[in-house]
Amino acid sequence: MSLAVESQTSKQLKRAGLTALTFLLMVVMCVPGLWVVLSAFRPNGEILAKPPIWIPEAPTFDNFRKIFGLGTDQVAIPVGSYFMNSLIIAMTSTVIALAIGMAGGYAFARYRFRGKGSIFLGLMLFRAVPGIALSLPVFIIWSKLGIIDTKIGLIIVYVSLNVPFTIWLIDGFFRQIPLSLSEAAQVDGCTRWQAFWKIEFPLARSGIAAAGVFAFLTSWNEFALASQLTRSTSSKTLPVGLLDFTAQFTIDWAGMCAMAVIIIIPALILTFLVQKHLIAGLTFGGVKG
Amino acid sequence: MPFWRRESATPFLLLTPALLTMAFVVIIPLVFSMYTSFTGYRLVKPDSLYDWVGFRNYARILSDWEFWVPFGRTVLFLTVVLNVEFLLGLGIALLINRITWGQRTLRTIMMFPMMFSPILVGFQFKFLFNDNIGIVNNALQSLGLSDGAIAWLVDAKLAFFSIAIAEIWMSTSVFAILLLAGLFAMPRDPLEAAKVDGCNAWQTFRHITLPFLMPFAYIAMAIRSLDVARAYDIVTVMTDGGPAGRTEILWTLIARVGYDNSRMGMANAMAYVSTILSILFTWYFYRKLVAARRYMGGAQ
Amino acid sequence: MAEITLDKVVKKYGAASVVHGIDLEIAHEEFVVLVGPSGCGKSTTLRMIAGLEDISGGIVRIGDRVVNDLPPRKRNISMVFQNYALYPHMNVRENLGFGLKIAGESPDNISKRVDEAAAVLGLTPLLDRTPAELSGGQRQRVAMGRAIVRRPEVFLFDEPLSNLDAKLRGQMRAEIKKLHQKVRTTVVYVTHDQVEAMTLADRIVVMRDGRIEQVGTPMEAFNHPRTTFVATFIGSPPMNLLPGVIAGGAVRLADGTTVPVPDRLKPHARDGRKVTLGIRPDDISPVGHGLSQDGPGAEVDLTVELAEPLGMESLIYTRLAGQEVLAKLYGPRIVQPGEQLTFRMALDRAHLFDAETGQSLRLD
Repeated sequence: MSLAVESQTSKQLKRAGLTALTFLLMVVMCVPGLWVVLSAFRPNGEILAKPPIWIPEAPTFDNFRKIFGLGTDQVAIPVGSYFMNSLIIAMTSTVIALAIGMAGGYAFARYRFRGKGSIFLGLMLFRAVPGIALSLPVFIIWSKLGIIDTKIGLIIVYVSLNVPFTIWLIDGFFRQIPLSLSEAAQVDGCTRWQAFWKIEFPLARSGIAAAGVFAFLTSWNEFALASQLTRSTSSKTLPVGLLDFTAQFTIDWAGMCAMAVIIIIPALILTFLVQKHLIAGLTFGGVKG
Repeated sequence: MPFWRRESATPFLLLTPALLTMAFVVIIPLVFSMYTSFTGYRLVKPDSLYDWVGFRNYARILSDWEFWVPFGRTVLFLTVVLNVEFLLGLGIALLINRITWGQRTLRTIMMFPMMFSPILVGFQFKFLFNDNIGIVNNALQSLGLSDGAIAWLVDAKLAFFSIAIAEIWMSTSVFAILLLAGLFAMPRDPLEAAKVDGCNAWQTFRHITLPFLMPFAYIAMAIRSLDVARAYDIVTVMTDGGPAGRTEILWTLIARVGYDNSRMGMANAMAYVSTILSILFTWYFYRKLVAARRYMGGAQ
Repeated sequence: MAEITLDKVVKKYGAASVVHGIDLEIAHEEFVVLVGPSGCGKSTTLRMIAGLEDISGGIVRIGDRVVNDLPPRKRNISMVFQNYALYPHMNVRENLGFGLKIAGESPDNISKRVDEAAAVLGLTPLLDRTPAELSGGQRQRVAMGRAIVRRPEVFLFDEPLSNLDAKLRGQMRAEIKKLHQKVRTTVVYVTHDQVEAMTLADRIVVMRDGRIEQVGTPMEAFNHPRTTFVATFIGSPPMNLLPGVIAGGAVRLADGTTVPVPDRLKPHARDGRKVTLGIRPDDISPVGHGLSQDGPGAEVDLTVELAEPLGMESLIYTRLAGQEVLAKLYGPRIVQPGEQLTFRMALDRAHLFDAETGQSLRLD
């Protein structure tokens, strides 16, 4: 009897321990980002305060107004343009990478052909080339072609940056759809093209959307290449723009935090929307002959 | 029938756009940078592109401590960071697997750091570790653990540590999430069979759970190996290789030599070394992954 | 008219050949079952008829058309897949009507024909469900409905019952048979289960290693197997096979036991020929407990090693000439291991095969 009671309490203790550990983990995961977000809504004075003020006492949107040049007090950094550049570059490169990746992923998932494994591995290995190492020759070639410091130049780079991983993910999603569905559709009178659009594509849609979000965020977040290939207001992206702040002698922490929030928000929303499919794609995609 | 009309040509046709973009943006530039690495090309002197110097650039970097120190630092950094990420990720995955509530919510929260821009992660930790206004120093001081301001990003060792923390914060989730997916997919029968066969908790973990999880760990490693160079973003924003080059890693060195000093030939030689390093790294884990999957056989 | 003709059909993957030149003629409205162990090429053959697999050599005709280069949609066939291949994002009604929609039928016509097919298969109450909400048997029925709704000339079935449990399988087997009687079309049906083959087929085609071993009615294959392979594959439990040599009008087994050669095989039994004696468990029984006591027979004394009572009959494991032999005892008698009994072999139902080629001696 007493033994049973004892094991009962030790079980409860264990559970409490696990809960506490999980809570601690979530704090470590969330606090750094949360602190930046909170700071974005504080006046500069509160950020510099000592001892720290934990909860913003006077929450304000001034920092955002300031970086978008809306208030009287403006920063010299054209965040609005950067935002538009980022949006255009990330969206365009995502759409193109998805189209290319869908064709490639379908080929890997559905066909047997010579050199399949090597081509797949080759795509991955090219993706592994460090951005900064790749930026050197691309910088020179793009200068000669006259597409340095243009949106189109960066879009081209991002498409190829995203294609391998998009193929990895989409291959995985198509692989999960039994081949016999497409065959049944062909027996039912479809051409292979119709079978793809009417059966396989609708079933892989959420996975393809996840791959698209991943590609979008890769472009949205990229820094190493963008920092070398873009120089002017008309093509610079948000991550590159963030560094503009540090170039000044005093760091405008409040402005940087506000800009950070603008970069974070799409990442948060999109991640939340597709996280389930993204994990499935990462786990079961790629590999195997 | 012409080649492109045949059924066997379809996969190649489907892959053509992908291969073309890769050729245009990666292969041609890599060939070009291979050439450049054998010249004394300087951005400010366009004609020097045709100044063939043979292996001089390679000979120079390979005999120069200015290269080997950041190289060694990069390898050390990656070794430490990846091992810590794997162990932490494994711990987190096992922890969340034991939790009976809100697993999916926890998993979603874990995904966020992964999706953050590395430049943002760098900035975030620069903000936290700032010696004057940073929350870390503030917290330590209010708790009475430290009286003065600790110069996290100025002292070489502490700066290295801070950068590692930022990197680990950003990427541990890759391991945690994939290992958790492995735990979710794990069949119950072998675990129960092991219990019946008299294994204790540790033996079960060591001989059943861990081998089952290895393919997932290799997927995580393979994915991570594609973007280890993201550390460049973090270092650039946090210390930019400083103070006095004591947090310089291979990639910041390449940027400095190539763009700031405009010695493109030399930078390309260094870039080639780093590219080969990255490719070997990815290749190694990809092979491990394929082998592990084959060995797992029916389990997947 | 939809007869199917296979003329020296070959399937190769690279250098490896998996179907080696098959000849087969299937008559209009005939129900033909391709049966054999896994890897025998039966599914590949079916998929070549369907157009899902390239034909590496030979000619496939459906009706009077050569279909080698026609895609599946132009062959006027329908197919039931092993895993049913129902479209998960469509409900039952849309699944049934999909083929008609692709063919450009009018919505009225589609719904009329879908309702008809649903009525035939008892699917009417399920029309608005999705495949995920159906049981295994119901999915199976939808898959068949999708096949019949288009009224094709040929039905192809690829192991359609292998995902069902034993009881349901028996039920669906009967339904398929009834369906064929209602909707007379040519059917090619692939299975590895010889019971399915025996019960469903007008003719069965036994395949092995990419070749046809025997074509015939189920009873022909059962009563007159052409090879030892067919002899052991068709019928359960399988036929006993005992190696021996012909000597003086009898088969001498390894331990010296002799079994007279049945009269009908005498002309082929020259002395010294190495043969395999084949006898089904049903045809070797303890004296007085067999199927029939008439006709020529041979008696041997054997020791029971194990007995499995099945109610009105028992399966007896015994040993003859050093080899395990299965026998059957008809009647509710209990047999103990170690018991010695006199067994009678019904020689008119015994088979002799050439030891080298495995071919039945009557084919000489």
